[in-house]
Amino acid sequence: MSILSLRRINKKYGQAKVFAVNEVSFDVEEGEILALVGESGSGKTTLLRLIAGLEHPDDGTISLAGQVIVQGKESVPPHDRKVGMVFQDYALFPHLTILENVTFGIAKSKGNPEQLAKDTLKLVGLTEDFKKYPHQLSGGQQQRVALARAIAPNPRILLMDEPFSNLDAMLKDQVREEIRQIIKKTGITAIFVTHDTKDALSTADRIAILHKGYLQQIDIPKNLYETPVNPYVANFFGKRNELLATPSEDGFYTSFGFITDLEAKKYKRQVKLLFRPEHGEVVQREGQQLSGKIVKVSYFGSHQLVKISDDEGFRVTIRTNPGRIFDEVERTFFYLWKYDIEEAF
Amino acid sequence: MDIIRKKYYWWNKWTGYALIILLFVATPLVTILFKLFASPGGSWSHIANNLLYGYFQNTLLLLLGVAALTFLLGVSTAWLVSNYEFPGRRYFEWLLILPLGFPGYIMAYTYVGILDYTGPIQTFFRNTFDISFKGSLIDIMNLPGAIFILSITLFPYVFLISRSSFLQQSKTMQEASFLLGANRTKTFFKIALPMARPAIVAGIALASMEVLNDYGTVKYFGVNTFTTGIFRAWFSMGDATTAIYLAAILMIFVFLILYLESLQRGNRQYSSVNGLNKPTARIEVSMQKKLLYSAICTIIFLISFLIPFLQLLKWVWLTHEKVVNQEFLTLIYRSFGLAAIAGVLIVIFSVILLYALRLSPFKWVKSITKVATLGYAIPGAVIAVGVMIPLLAFDKWVYDALLSARTAGLFLSGTLFALIFAYIVRFMAVGYNPVEAGFQKIGIHVNEASRLLGVRSTKTLWKIDLPLIKTTLFSGILLVFVDVLKELPLTLILRPFNYQTLATKAFDMATNEMIAESANAAVIIILTGIIPIIFLNQMIKKREL
Repeated sequence: MSILSLRRINKKYGQAKVFAVNEVSFDVEEGEILALVGESGSGKTTLLRLIAGLEHPDDGTISLAGQVIVQGKESVPPHDRKVGMVFQDYALFPHLTILENVTFGIAKSKGNPEQLAKDTLKLVGLTEDFKKYPHQLSGGQQQRVALARAIAPNPRILLMDEPFSNLDAMLKDQVREEIRQIIKKTGITAIFVTHDTKDALSTADRIAILHKGYLQQIDIPKNLYETPVNPYVANFFGKRNELLATPSEDGFYTSFGFITDLEAKKYKRQVKLLFRPEHGEVVQREGQQLSGKIVKVSYFGSHQLVKISDDEGFRVTIRTNPGRIFDEVERTFFYLWKYDIEEAF
Repeated sequence: MDIIRKKYYWWNKWTGYALIILLFVATPLVTILFKLFASPGGSWSHIANNLLYGYFQNTLLLLLGVAALTFLLGVSTAWLVSNYEFPGRRYFEWLLILPLGFPGYIMAYTYVGILDYTGPIQTFFRNTFDISFKGSLIDIMNLPGAIFILSITLFPYVFLISRSSFLQQSKTMQEASFLLGANRTKTFFKIALPMARPAIVAGIALASMEVLNDYGTVKYFGVNTFTTGIFRAWFSMGDATTAIYLAAILMIFVFLILYLESLQRGNRQYSSVNGLNKPTARIEVSMQKKLLYSAICTIIFLISFLIPFLQLLKWVWLTHEKVVNQEFLTLIYRSFGLAAIAGVLIVIFSVILLYALRLSPFKWVKSITKVATLGYAIPGAVIAVGVMIPLLAFDKWVYDALLSARTAGLFLSGTLFALIFAYIVRFMAVGYNPVEAGFQKIGIHVNEASRLLGVRSTKTLWKIDLPLIKTTLFSGILLVFVDVLKELPLTLILRPFNYQTLATKAFDMATNEMIAESANAAVIIILTGIIPIIFLNQMIKKREL
């Protein structure tokens, strides 16, 4: 069942010429984790603030748990929305202790607020230091407190603004997994904003990709990766190679050689073959393959990227396992086991 | 299933409160503008024909003279303390700000006393060398004298702002200049000074506002300016419209200064582009130069603060037994009370205005909120006129409508209400700016976090925002407190009949040939004024780090 739904949301700031959020509609299912992904200025943070009630859309409707919370000029104020939020800078109250921070939002009517706060802190992995003040904690601990504070009042939905951006690379992988587990344990519905596709792929159930205020595609990671609706989404998860090809009866002619493909006869004019680096394979022996000159090999630890050039100097990038050793300017052979075909013009 | 209450998102009660405060604060300004279109009073033609040219000339010369002298004093000392290491450098950084605590009118009559026949200089020459002069040593009771007095009390504005500008200039920029072969002097004129220009002009603009506001000094020295003209029209001629005409012309001066200041700033960016703003390292110079720099700062400090202050202390020593009595203590108590009430009200109003702004998504709220702070640029005498007219009209309406005409009298005008109202209009910016800085520093997210946790905006203000900006609230109150304590022209016009504050008492005594006696009130005003100055300096020092 969908817990949050946005319908045709538009938002423009002040005198700005373009909309920050443009005709955006989507639904969030109960219990799922949704990532809003986009570059800076894509409208992802604005969208989060619209859901929280910290901004108001120019038009559109938002409903939360079956009730309309935004419609036209009418709006439920943030303190009545029961929405939890973790800010990018955590926004912990510096004059209150950890425990007071977490207790702050828990209604008095809910039995023993302090006990509930302590339980929530334990849930996020903080078992002591309840009497400390935020500035006495490390960045990672502060984030846990912020998360505990947001989920302690049992909100209908949890919003997180760039939750991983302040963490160093070493900590990031661990924290992503932990936060996902905590959210799943509580069963809460969560939306988080990020500019890092790795965050989205590793943490979210579904991903919404925003560009210039427009929602491009919302789907599970596998579908976004494999069946992107447009080039923007496709390139979002890493650059794709674009290779010009001329179709014939039984395959494509390219500047690297001939590819046998019976699909080719469906095309009349020149096409682009789109493929990711991992969809190619470098091989040693000659045969029914493409060939070119290795011009650059970049080593990344878990893999290598090999840049191969045709006679004109046009390059494609192919991914290989890290153990292989190449000589640059060596002539090599490669083949593509997966590519998309797109009309060139 | 809980029912969701709907609200219009653009409305909250804070916007309402803010609009009421803005209306209240803008009344005097709007009044002046409206009355400008009424026909002039009877004495206008007299003033226009005989006095206006003199007012114009004196005001302009005063402004130019003070601008030049404060530039010279302020920029030179700021450059020395921010670039060179010399004996006492650390102390001069704050000693040179102290003259700000000296109200111009007190400085004026203190210097008259110092140079007088009975003053220390002449007494010294008479007793030691048997040389006596006729009358005063140097006659300073004229335009150049007024320029001198106002400059030595106002140059710290230029000093403060240009010092922080020099300190913020990036080290690399100056080093680049040296590496390109420029020496310190050339670097100063070609790099540091042009880069600090917006700051310096802003400092001079502030000093100019104070010059236009000044009544005590020019009145005491007999220099007729627009401010004295307003007093004369209001008190001597009882001609409100003429006072307003003069006030409006004075306002044109103010807006001209503000306009020129913004014009010179333009769109150019004078700050360093990258974040590498390491402060310039102070350089060691030869012993002779060190002593020279020390001497320059010492002489300026002696003239602008220490000598007149010691003179005041001597007068206190001579007269305190006679002056400090129960009545005097009442005066202190009353002045402090008045200043504290104004300070607290201004800070409360500032919090309301800024909180409305904080909660509102609209730009127009920001621009109209700025109106509240305009008063600081407007001379006290102008504000006094602007406050008096609506209050007199209100009184008249109350008596006509509610009471019989027989019991004519004062209801709001001529009461403390009028005075406090005027203080709020005039000094709103003084309290508003620190509160604004406080809110900016804590950021909006803590407030939003609280409201998302189900706490309403009012409770959030009490539980989150206010505790976090506690110190800035106190500094706001303190800054207003000191300004109100020093304030003269506004108090003179609006105080209830025979009501004295420290400032008016000191001025009355001084103008009635009781200069020595007036020192008691003066010293209290100055000492109170020094507290926030030291405070302010701490704040600037923190920013340097």
